[in-house]
Amino acid sequence: MIKFEQVTTCLSGRNILDDMNLHVKKGETLVVLGPSGAGKSVTLKHIVGLMRPDSGHLFIGDDDITVAFGDNLARIRDRMGFLFQGGALLAWLNVGENVALPLREKTQMRDDEILDLVHEKLRLVGLENDFDKSPSEISGGMRKRVSLARAIVMTPEVVLYDEPTSGLDPVTSRKIDELIDDMRAKLGVTSVVVTHDLHSALSIGTRIAMLYNGKIIELSTPEELLESDEPRVREFLDAQYITKTGPWERGR
Amino acid sequence: MPDKVHSEHISMGFFAWVGTASLRILRIVGESMMVTFEAFSYMRYLLTSRRARAETVRLMYEMGICSLGVITIVAAFTGMILALQTGIELQKFNQEKLVGAAVLVSMLREMGPFMTGLILAASVGSAIAAQLGTMAVSEEVAALEVMSINPVRYLIMPRLAAMMFVTPLLALYSSALGVGGGAIVANTKLGLGFYTYFDWALRFADTKDMWVGGFKAWLFGVLITMIACQVSLAARNGAVGVGLATRRAVVVSFLAILIVGYFVTSLFYQ
Repeated sequence: MIKFEQVTTCLSGRNILDDMNLHVKKGETLVVLGPSGAGKSVTLKHIVGLMRPDSGHLFIGDDDITVAFGDNLARIRDRMGFLFQGGALLAWLNVGENVALPLREKTQMRDDEILDLVHEKLRLVGLENDFDKSPSEISGGMRKRVSLARAIVMTPEVVLYDEPTSGLDPVTSRKIDELIDDMRAKLGVTSVVVTHDLHSALSIGTRIAMLYNGKIIELSTPEELLESDEPRVREFLDAQYITKTGPWERGR
Repeated sequence: MPDKVHSEHISMGFFAWVGTASLRILRIVGESMMVTFEAFSYMRYLLTSRRARAETVRLMYEMGICSLGVITIVAAFTGMILALQTGIELQKFNQEKLVGAAVLVSMLREMGPFMTGLILAASVGSAIAAQLGTMAVSEEVAALEVMSINPVRYLIMPRLAAMMFVTPLLALYSSALGVGGGAIVANTKLGLGFYTYFDWALRFADTKDMWVGGFKAWLFGVLITMIACQVSLAARNGAVGVGLATRRAVVVSFLAILIVGYFVTSLFYQ
């Protein structure tokens, strides 16, 4: 579904992505882990064409997004939804209008049809009673859920999540995890999740990629990751008190 | 010999600096012009999109009506100062009857559009830069792009349309108030009758003054909007970046208003 082919991106003289090869399969949830500055968010930005690599190609299905512009780029982006780290909700629109934005701008749907769909998506993320609230009136976790509702309102094939649980309390984090897992299980959405949160990664990921200095140093299932002997992976696991023999169990 | 090598090194460094700076300026100007043309090309959405029309009207209110207070005070006092200064000098030659002409022509050709441009650059231009800059650093602009909603069409075009409409009207309003303020000063300080003031004012003023002033204001509106949008959408690094973008938008707009104002005047009155 998503294929990185020898993607290299250099910023300020440093290779943020270094000859990256990665294949995200249709319907899977790939979690990208790694320390700050490893190139995780840059990876997501490449997938949606917000950044372009210095060399290499990136395919979404059969379309090479690295050479797509204008209408062609818009057509590829229409197949994707993106949950931004801070929500990226437009401050002058209320919750419902934010979710309705892509529908109003890009479809010819009638107002009542848009409203029905927006209510349905808000219900899915547990915010059906918050339609009229402004983004400044809701919490960080709610903002992320609104952003998720907006990301899926056009029924995309791929949803990208940039730090979906950062800055949230554990209870809200697990709710977001459940929503991401539901996207895969119920809607068959292909997801790429960038996170620092190992508990979240192990819960929702069908595969986990560990990014280090622009290179993927580990690509495995959550169970295999826990058994990994790669020192940088072990260091990352140990830092969050997750051990091979630890109490961790998959949340589903 | 080492001195010669050293001076050659310095001169090469200077030329490299000039070359780099020129290329950078050309790139910024080129990008700005492309974005401006793109924004103009999206004006057609005003005919087809109800949201675009509603947003443009809202912005017209915000930019126009909300600027009326400060423009009223500045314009009235500009006219009053013009009348007082020119009147005192003209009185020395018993020509104070010409005060109205001096004020009307100055306000229509220069001071009306100029003062309106400066006020809008400081109030509306900075507000646009702060809003769009905040949107850029909080990834709202990126979110629009990811949703395939063109930020130029969604954010810049309505602002450009609103400014293009309100700036000439505000310049005209400002000229009228300046002339009114001048009339009060001419009457109370110089003892000139209102009829004489307006009679001589209209003898010297031309409709060309009005449309050149209107055109100048329209151009200032385009410049203020495009500079604010261009500078703010490039904002990075959080609140500091937004602050820098806002300051840059106001400073560059002021300079552009002065420089472009001169060239428009020389184009139409030489």
